Amino acid sequence: MTWTPLTLVLIGVICLLGVGFYGLLISRNLIKIIVALQILGKAALIAFVMAGNVNGQTGQGQALAMTIIVADTIVAVVGLALAVQVRRRFGTMDIKALSNLKG
Amino acid sequence: MNNAFLWLIALPLLASPFVYILGRIPFSRAAFRTVRLDGHLVLENPRSRIPAFLALAVMLIMWVFFAMTASQFLANGAQSWTFGSVSLRLDGLSLLLAAVALGLGTLVVIFSGPYMADDAGEEKYYALLVLMVGVMIGLGCAYDLFNLWVWFEAMAVSSYLLVAFYHEQPAALESGVKYLVQSAAGSVLVLLGIALVFAQTGTLALDQIQSAARATVNAPALLAAGALFLIGYGVKAALVPLHTWLPDAHSQAPSGISAMLSGVVIEAGLVALLRSLGSLSAVTPSWSTLLFIFGALNMLLGNLLALRQTQVKRMLAFSSLSHIGYMLLGLGIAVYSGQPGGAEGSFFHLINHALMKGLAFLAAGALLYCLFIATGSHNALLISDLAGAARRYPLPALALSIAVLGLGGLPPLAGFMSKWQIFVAGFQTHDLVVMGLVIFAALNSVLSLGYYAPLVNMMYRQKPSTAVQSGKPLPWIMGIPLVLLSLAIVAIGIWPTLVQWLSAPAGAALVSMTAFGR
Amino acid sequence: MTSSVLVALTIGLPWLGALCISFGVRDRSERAQHALAILFAVTSGLAALALLPTAANATILRIPVGGVFGDFTFNPDGLGVFLASVATVVGSLAVIFSVDYMRGEKQLGRYYALVLLFIGAMAGLALTGSILLLFIFWEITALCSYALISFYNDDPKAVAGGIKALIMTQIGGVGLLVGALIVYAYLGGYDISLLIEKANTLPPGVLNVLAFGFLIAAAAKSAQFPFQTWLPDAMEAPTPVSALIHAATMVNAGVYLLARFYPAFAPVPGWTMAVMIVGMLSALLTAIMALVATDLKRVLAYSTVSQLGYMVYAVGAGSILASQFHLLSHAVFKALLFLGAGAVIHAIGTRDLRKMGGLGRQMPLIRTTFIIGALALVGIPILNGFWSKEMVLEAGLSGGPAWIWIVMLIGAGLTALYTFRVVWMVFFGAPRGDDNHGATHAHDATHAMRFALVVLAVGALTTWLLIGPFSGLIASSFGAVAAGQPHELSLTEMIAEVVTAPATGIALIVIALAIGAAWWRRDKLTALGNRLGWLSRMATDSFGFEWINRTIVRGTQAIAGGLRVTQTGALNWNILGIVGGLIVVLAILAMGVAR
Repeated sequence: MTWTPLTLVLIGVICLLGVGFYGLLISRNLIKIIVALQILGKAALIAFVMAGNVNGQTGQGQALAMTIIVADTIVAVVGLALAVQVRRRFGTMDIKALSNLKG
Repeated sequence: MNNAFLWLIALPLLASPFVYILGRIPFSRAAFRTVRLDGHLVLENPRSRIPAFLALAVMLIMWVFFAMTASQFLANGAQSWTFGSVSLRLDGLSLLLAAVALGLGTLVVIFSGPYMADDAGEEKYYALLVLMVGVMIGLGCAYDLFNLWVWFEAMAVSSYLLVAFYHEQPAALESGVKYLVQSAAGSVLVLLGIALVFAQTGTLALDQIQSAARATVNAPALLAAGALFLIGYGVKAALVPLHTWLPDAHSQAPSGISAMLSGVVIEAGLVALLRSLGSLSAVTPSWSTLLFIFGALNMLLGNLLALRQTQVKRMLAFSSLSHIGYMLLGLGIAVYSGQPGGAEGSFFHLINHALMKGLAFLAAGALLYCLFIATGSHNALLISDLAGAARRYPLPALALSIAVLGLGGLPPLAGFMSKWQIFVAGFQTHDLVVMGLVIFAALNSVLSLGYYAPLVNMMYRQKPSTAVQSGKPLPWIMGIPLVLLSLAIVAIGIWPTLVQWLSAPAGAALVSMTAFGR
Repeated sequence: MTSSVLVALTIGLPWLGALCISFGVRDRSERAQHALAILFAVTSGLAALALLPTAANATILRIPVGGVFGDFTFNPDGLGVFLASVATVVGSLAVIFSVDYMRGEKQLGRYYALVLLFIGAMAGLALTGSILLLFIFWEITALCSYALISFYNDDPKAVAGGIKALIMTQIGGVGLLVGALIVYAYLGGYDISLLIEKANTLPPGVLNVLAFGFLIAAAAKSAQFPFQTWLPDAMEAPTPVSALIHAATMVNAGVYLLARFYPAFAPVPGWTMAVMIVGMLSALLTAIMALVATDLKRVLAYSTVSQLGYMVYAVGAGSILASQFHLLSHAVFKALLFLGAGAVIHAIGTRDLRKMGGLGRQMPLIRTTFIIGALALVGIPILNGFWSKEMVLEAGLSGGPAWIWIVMLIGAGLTALYTFRVVWMVFFGAPRGDDNHGATHAHDATHAMRFALVVLAVGALTTWLLIGPFSGLIASSFGAVAAGQPHELSLTEMIAEVVTAPATGIALIVIALAIGAAWWRRDKLTALGNRLGWLSRMATDSFGFEWINRTIVRGTQAIAGGLRVTQTGALNWNILGIVGGLIVVLAILAMGVAR
């Protein structure tokens, strides 16, 4: 296996995915969870840039990545808005407090 | 006017900000009231009925466009429109989704008139609702993978806000957070899948991907992309075990939104799943196996989890899982056999499920409103609270009975007919495993009666619960959607081919578009 | 043309009545409710009777629905019109009886609406020519039955009995559903005649599934072995409903189904034998249960299952005529017995046999009519039950193995025993019970009740005279007369056949011995349950089937409750579901590639 830039990017994407899902699975702080979602989003957008590069349509790949940044940000904003409300109502950011609905 | 469907999409998107802004403008002096909140004096949001009426007007105008779109479609077949690299295409499946979203959306707007009247932030509610309907219609028409995802994400964001609409209630907030995190995680998976497809095939248009996929059977990248689509969109479509957000969100959202979520939003997720997976249909024959596995899991777990619920809305939410299972079964049959029958049955069931589950949530919402919300309480509606409801609230009780008996698949109600169509398609394959699955599905229907029937029974008891005794009367406006939906369910049950003009082209569209038939 | 209008009236009038009562009158005027219910039920009955002369094996109404729903057809042949007439006529009598029985009940509108809905659906079930429509009507009757069993739904026993009946008949209904699906998938249509004509073209394995699927459906609907447990619990329903649905009509649908499709399934190896064994086990086991039961309506319910067993047995033995003739007799005399029991229960306010006794003096009319019904049930000449039961036994001797016939004879003896016991405990002997509060206030039947009882009692004495036209009706439904299929039988022929048959003499001796034994030890009958010891304990538990039912229900509920743990409510676990799902899907796809 040769270390082309492409492999490096691919490894980067996989690492970001790993970090993101690890955060989602382990973290109990709501803010950290939203950060983990953002990391996942970044993995996806790098993947798009890479995909555009692979098939020779770098421009389109980058355009799509821009769109993802916008969409991702909106989700982050909504998530943070909910986090503010959670802090206000529950007095904590621990998602253990957010497990009353079950069964 | 050609391309009426563009207006059908554009109108709600354009109108949504106006609904919000006009709702914020204080037209009367009474709107400037201050209230004491958390020890601070704050200016209360103006309460006006403008957003509700505006939203209703938008919906009614959309019906005009819908009628034009439908007549154009029935006369000339699929229509498409391209602007730069964005292309929209209206086929049978899009028309079906548009009809369901618009139909249920209109009724929910009517229903919400009295239901939301006492809540602050009505203008946000209606603006988001109108937006969500428009976005779902757009989702149905998206014709490339990325565009599809954008519409999907827009739908998701508007629904996050609607689920957490009662943000002062901890439970609603909790369900909103779970919904957001799980959906966002799923949506990232979808993006990765799209990136893989893009890298492999160099295109995002569904038809081009399809021809590229046919050339590269068993390509690992495309297989992985398919798995990512299945799981990513599957979160929204509530496949077991990705369903865990659903019971919380459906039970905590305002009842009109519960109806929309269960009746249209999860089905929109299913449509997005079908579109994406359909373009990869040639890659492997395993897709039908996966659809069967998820279908069986959804039916069984949905029913078993619903069996021991004590809250009405939570029980209905779990039953949505099992109905997604029936649809997956029908779609799996269509993929497996290459015949449109199973898909037609599934889409027929999609329509019926929207009607029945919409009615169930609206009727439960009407009862919730009368028993609790109107008296200023935000308790959850327990099944035992419904005891004796039929005497004071004959219409919601009858409507809820029709809805759940239809969901349980009792003839002559709509739910039976669409299940029947799915079952027939299953037996027409003459395949033992598929026929076994159909029998399994039929036994699941029997199991579901184990929780639907006691609910009906409870409402027709003679001794009323304390909640019923202290309940408020039902606002007549809320009765309108209940009556319309009940009549539709009975009518389709008696004359099952009434909506075939919607379900048959959708089934045909799926089969031709995805070349499931090979 | 006229007959299609009559078909529409027979089915449509009760449904129209149900709509009128539930949306027009509501609970505003009780008198109007009674009047409307009687009006619609009786006119529907007249329409069904008017169909009798023109009954022919031809499709007279075909509504093309299209798609996979085929044509909705109506095919009022003799068999169908006969069952529709039973449903509407007994239905009318039950409605008339209800005027007194249900007077002043709350939610009377719901009661009448459901009863009328049931009558219409039952007539539809009998008259339709499409298997899909048959299934639809089948399910509607099940729904009505459920709702009416649970009518007094503040009583947990009524609720439990209703859901039990619903679930069990629905599970059986899956057999019919599978059958209908097979017919459409392999033959391309839903017409009953299509199946009967082309059954032999189906692959053998498929035909087996079809035949046994229908047998399961029929057994569940008719409360036959191993589904016999739901009918006794259904006795929580108002008594007119028990008479109508759980004695005279709906439970007969299973027998009707077997008879209707007999020509298609008879060649299936083992099918007729299975049918006979189902009938035999039902007849014998429930007769024993009836012997030890202490609840008046439950005894009648067991007896219904037992008599239905005889009809099923007759179908298996190849005599559709005998089974349908017994169905007619049974519908009349069992409706009579139930309504009589209803009058007794209405008068004294308990169903417990041990608290009755000596009621004959206070209620002479009820006593007389009840005894007429009881004699018909036992099979005493010349009541209708005698002729039909002898025909069943005779058919069994010629068409089935001797050992089953002997068991059925024992069943006839047991029938005589338990019937005698019930009559004795209710109407004769010394008044029993702790304070005997009820019996002293007992009164005889009121007008509407009297009318229904007398009509049915006259029926129990005379319906056997109709064998000539009746056999013509049944025979006409089965086209070409093959071996063992029904043929026309005149009254004199039937009398000659029954009187000369060896089966009759033996059966009468068994019955006489049973009654003699019962008379001899009549003082011990009340405590019969205690004397029989282990047999009694097994019988009250339905020979273990109640235990099986309970285990299945508890098991399902335990699994359902246990699964709720998976809904942890914790966000991290929910995410694990997504990640785990992805891994599993990838694994399945990888396996697909490897293969």
